[in-house]
Amino acid sequence: MAISDVQEYMHLTDEEIEQLGRELDAIRKEVEDSRGPKDAAYINRLIRIQRYLAIAGRLTLLVGVHDKRTRVPAAVTGATLLALHKILENMEIGHNVMHGQWDWMNDPEIHSSNWEWDTAQPAEQWKHSHNYVHHQFTNVLGYDNDIGYGILRMAREQRWSPVNLGQPVYNAMLATLFQWGVALHDLDIERIRKGEKDPKEMKRQLKQIFRKGRNQILKDYVVYPALAGPQWRTVMAANVGANLTRNLWSYVIIFCGHFPDGAMHFTEEEIEDETRAEWYLRQILGAANFEGGPLMHIMSGNLGYQIEHHLFPDLPSNRYGEISVKVKALCEKYDIPYTIGPLHKQYGQALRTIIKLSVPNSWTNSDKPEPPTPPQKRRRRSDSERPDRIRQLGAWSRGTSQERKAS
Amino acid sequence: MIVADLSQASRIRERRWVTQCALSRVCGCCAMSLERPVAFLGTGREVDRNAFHLPPMHVGCAEELRRTPGADPEWRLVTTSGFEFVRPDRDDPDPEPRFEPNSLVD
Repeated sequence: MAISDVQEYMHLTDEEIEQLGRELDAIRKEVEDSRGPKDAAYINRLIRIQRYLAIAGRLTLLVGVHDKRTRVPAAVTGATLLALHKILENMEIGHNVMHGQWDWMNDPEIHSSNWEWDTAQPAEQWKHSHNYVHHQFTNVLGYDNDIGYGILRMAREQRWSPVNLGQPVYNAMLATLFQWGVALHDLDIERIRKGEKDPKEMKRQLKQIFRKGRNQILKDYVVYPALAGPQWRTVMAANVGANLTRNLWSYVIIFCGHFPDGAMHFTEEEIEDETRAEWYLRQILGAANFEGGPLMHIMSGNLGYQIEHHLFPDLPSNRYGEISVKVKALCEKYDIPYTIGPLHKQYGQALRTIIKLSVPNSWTNSDKPEPPTPPQKRRRRSDSERPDRIRQLGAWSRGTSQERKAS
Repeated sequence: MIVADLSQASRIRERRWVTQCALSRVCGCCAMSLERPVAFLGTGREVDRNAFHLPPMHVGCAEELRRTPGADPEWRLVTTSGFEFVRPDRDDPDPEPRFEPNSLVD
């Protein structure tokens, strides 16, 4: 079920929603006021580590593959180091820098307008498709292109077609070639097919993708293999392995952000005249977290804190852990679902949705949680007990959640 | 260096465009990727409040916009490395989305 009125769905009053908004604002303000040298040291350290990983990986491959005895271990080690470099660069550094999380440092290099990441999609297109389309219209059907990326049917409200029968295969292909799928994401192939895309804009974007993609291919599959001379095949295979590992990892992490059962979808009515507090609430309901230790969170770009990332996409990612404690407490206070689980469970649910929605709705049941309905007294009401008119929220929601708990 | 281009300047007061510029990090005047520093144009009151309503721009585009006929003579140019994007609240006395520069350059 897609939600057309978050407030009504959650049975929160206007005042409760606004109070929630104020409390989230206070969390934001606290982080804004306290970000400083410690945070800057964090991102600078990670960038250094990521670069060392890249150098170590490239050198291991260039030097280690020539001797028959070290060839295989060097290829495996080199590929692993390169994969770690790419994962760190794409997820914790590139993605977050492009959100403007580190712009406050006034560093010319670590800035949303200057960072170009090590993947096929041009940064400019990512900032449109992700920062704007996905973050502004999170999980709104027909608006957020990340609901299935134009390839997969991920909501029961999306019309089924026989093409969807191939979803498990498309999904495997998307996971394997993830960086290329992301590279084409902002092109919006559906709009091109319908003839709705401005041809000039399309040409400009295609040029950017071609140039960026060509450079990625040249780097990983031509220049570095060529530097290894006769062992070019080994280096190329290691580079394929590194890219494949990065693709699979980033695919799993990203699919755990909005496709587990607890993450809700919304209709366009929901975003009409949405206030800041309502926007916050939609972000909480539309995202899902996963559990993990500090290293796991760093390697996943702190997207295990997807809810916090969606609430505050431009606050430094290293602060999401501490923010999550406060957000979770607020969710408990206002009786708002806070979706979280281990990575395997979240991904398992996403995968199950992909498979289930490959067939028509009537063949399967929904796994999304039903709306929390208030307890109803099983007796007939007199006229005097009925409200004079049904307002948008319904009579039940006029009390505060505290009063409801007490009753 | 970006050449000043005001092809999108007619949209700088559209709420939707302002939000898109803020999140996509593009210039409100030319729709191309922002550069550091980011420029904001605002009246003296906006400068004093550190809350701007026009979207972020390239410095060159902002200067060009300020020179165009019909530009607000009160506009002052502020440059910053980063900014906070603030969505209005229900009872906000200021019902428009706004920008709060957080690392002023000039």
